Amino acid sequence: MPVGRLTIFVLGAGFITGCGDNVAPSNFPTTDCTAVTTTHCVEVHGGDTAGLLTVANSIDAGTTIVLGLGTFAMTDQLTLRTTGAHLIGQGIDQTTLDFGATTTQGNGVDAIGDDFLIQDLTVRDASKDGIRVEASKGVVFRAIRATWTMPSSSSNGAYGIYPVKSQNVLVESSRAENASDAGLYVGQCQHVIVRNNTVTGNVAGLEIENTEYADVYGNTAEDNTGGIVVFDLPGNPIVGRDVRLRDNFIRNNNHVNFASGGTVAGIPSGTGTFAMASRRVEITGNTYEGNNTGDIALISGLALEPDVTKWTLPTAMLSGTYADLGLLPGAAPGTIMNFRAENIVVANNKHAGSGTMPDAFDPLHIGALLLLAYNGQPVDNILYDAIGEPGFDSTDAAKNTNVNHMCIGGNTGGTFASMALALQSATSLVPFFRPAAPFAPFDCTALAGGPVADVVLP
Amino acid sequence: MAKSQVVLLLVVACVLPSACGGGGGGADGSTVAPGPSGPVNVDLEATPPERLSAYNLFTWDPATGFAWNDRVVPYDVNTALFSDYALKQRAIYIPAGATASFDPEQPFDLPVGAALVKTFYYPADFRAPSEHLTLIETRLLVRHTDGWHPLPYIWDADQHDAVLSPAGEVRAISFLDATGAAQTANYLVPQRNECQNCHAEQDAPDAPIDLVLIGVKARHLNRSYDYGGKVGVRNQIDRLTELGMLTGAPAAATIPAAYDFRPIEAGGVGALSSPEIEAAARSYLDINCAHCHNPHGVQGMTSQLFLNHDSTDAFHLGVCKRPGSAGAGNGGLTFDIVPGDPDSSILYFRTDTTEVGAMMPLLGRSLTHGRGAELLHAWIAAMPALACSAPPAN
Repeated sequence: MPVGRLTIFVLGAGFITGCGDNVAPSNFPTTDCTAVTTTHCVEVHGGDTAGLLTVANSIDAGTTIVLGLGTFAMTDQLTLRTTGAHLIGQGIDQTTLDFGATTTQGNGVDAIGDDFLIQDLTVRDASKDGIRVEASKGVVFRAIRATWTMPSSSSNGAYGIYPVKSQNVLVESSRAENASDAGLYVGQCQHVIVRNNTVTGNVAGLEIENTEYADVYGNTAEDNTGGIVVFDLPGNPIVGRDVRLRDNFIRNNNHVNFASGGTVAGIPSGTGTFAMASRRVEITGNTYEGNNTGDIALISGLALEPDVTKWTLPTAMLSGTYADLGLLPGAAPGTIMNFRAENIVVANNKHAGSGTMPDAFDPLHIGALLLLAYNGQPVDNILYDAIGEPGFDSTDAAKNTNVNHMCIGGNTGGTFASMALALQSATSLVPFFRPAAPFAPFDCTALAGGPVADVVLP
Repeated sequence: MAKSQVVLLLVVACVLPSACGGGGGGADGSTVAPGPSGPVNVDLEATPPERLSAYNLFTWDPATGFAWNDRVVPYDVNTALFSDYALKQRAIYIPAGATASFDPEQPFDLPVGAALVKTFYYPADFRAPSEHLTLIETRLLVRHTDGWHPLPYIWDADQHDAVLSPAGEVRAISFLDATGAAQTANYLVPQRNECQNCHAEQDAPDAPIDLVLIGVKARHLNRSYDYGGKVGVRNQIDRLTELGMLTGAPAAATIPAAYDFRPIEAGGVGALSSPEIEAAARSYLDINCAHCHNPHGVQGMTSQLFLNHDSTDAFHLGVCKRPGSAGAGNGGLTFDIVPGDPDSSILYFRTDTTEVGAMMPLLGRSLTHGRGAELLHAWIAAMPALACSAPPAN
């Protein structure tokens, strides 16, 4: 059996022990090097910040770094650039990487490298993102907590848990709190499972952005400005598709919007879910409660960015699978546009107590429009902006079109309205189309092209 | 499956200089350093040496400055990355019998065994920039068969040698700036892994990430350098060719050159014409931003903001472009660049601010580069005014 050999230079005093050394075993009560699966393993005692930085910058491929009980007072981000780097602590709040005193810019944990895992620890008060994992294949976040101490502070970091441009991503049993943008943000990823996490106190609780093949289930989003959202942004090279939000709890997301700016600054407080510039999305089996503006909104990207040229992408630039989506062509040959919200099923969700107090101050004036339209009555649970529909009529169902294939139905306590957002202005309200179930012409029940398939990670 | 154990070699750094080798005989700066003797020692097979002096690339002496070994040639760049005003002494080493290959656009292809050497230092007072110098760190990039290996060395307090320091360091450094004002930088010696934050490229989302050079490109090197002695002032590309260390270079006069930032650093942008501001700003963005903000930049492609010197598309240059994921870094502003209105432009805000979490570049800056920010302000102000579309009213 070959012996993995790791040479480590330690500046100053440190407390690094090799595996199997019997030094202070009580510092590793939950996990030590005997319990890991990688080729190499290093244990770093709780609090040994210099030792941790040295190890992180010296490991070979396939190394687990086991962190002991305690708090690491970090002075710079923890940077990992090794294939097969695993970072395992002794549990949430048992092992904490505390970036509160960091004077440099940087994330908390900043990793690039395939087969990355982070587990059983807390990342606190990062300057930028809590844990950013980029351009990596095979990424696991398990039982970790990314948090900022100060609630509702716009100077908190942007994203708590942030896999971006990565493939085969699993985020489970984790917590993300108080992020000034999104607590758990999956950006431009492919093949993703996000399950059994809790996101609270963030501007956006859980975001799935420009991502294809994502299964999001069993999560709880509570006390965020917006709960769980799915969207594409203009200009990004993956066209979001095949996203399933199922069996999540999305409640009381009425937190004041404390974003310093950016896309999320436009989210009205009291938003449960929106799908924007998204296609092939299933929103099923979720429980929505007490989201004061509304539970679910289906929105065109043009509501955010009205300039279609900014939604135009050369197909040569695209990653992932898009040819079967029938995307709108751009003005120039060889380009597509992805601003449409289309081909979405909203079914079998439960709704209670939402829409009672829309945000009167959101910068896009969505809440103000809802206040005007509903005049004290609860906002319908499921709202569709109807941007891109050639036919709209406030009362005659037969004059409404559903070219975007929005399928709404079977939701317990879930009412629906089409908003004609493009026709609304500050001076006159066009009454919404508020059909009774089964909401024709929005009574289709299945995605065009078949249901979203299960995500199977290798 | 049994798991192999790790053997850790703990090499505890010397706390007392007298306990370390190399200092020895009471050298207190009064002896003039002789410069390197013997050949350069870049051993690709060995574990990287703990001490920088083991490479024998150069010597440094407070009285006489840097002295270079054979085939180690100092160089400079037209516009440099701003690193909290640190001065930088760069050099390139090409092993005997090998040469670098010229490329008009890409980094030069350097042979296996080559090394780039970059030493960061501060004078006590920038009005006397060659006196009372403190060397902070020397970064090596060594060309192995599998690519470039980064090696950060931090100089000892006694300034006799530098020690391999994978963990990097954050150090408060105080100095008097060019106006005589006191400044303190939270200077970052990057962790070894942070080298890849700038020196990384990915040809496609599925492609491997390569460690790449940044400054060793024709447009950055195409300038004169005072080599001293009999050589005197020469064009750097011509000089490398003349030494047999570079092949394939055309006449320097036919090679594009990035803008020379030195006059701006000395006197500001007031005297520059509009085309000069455009050229200077694009060179500044290229060297300060485009190592990430280019279509192959691992951490920059997400932003879709591409600031490489040959990026021409207005959207990707940031004109009326909303940031992808700037988070808290946008200063409450909406667009990367609002033409004609620098104070409403995120690009200017982020390069001017010292707010942690909002500063650009991400690494290596804790102070504002006054002349750089001034240039970018002038560049955006000179653009024909354009009202970027605001979100719909409702």
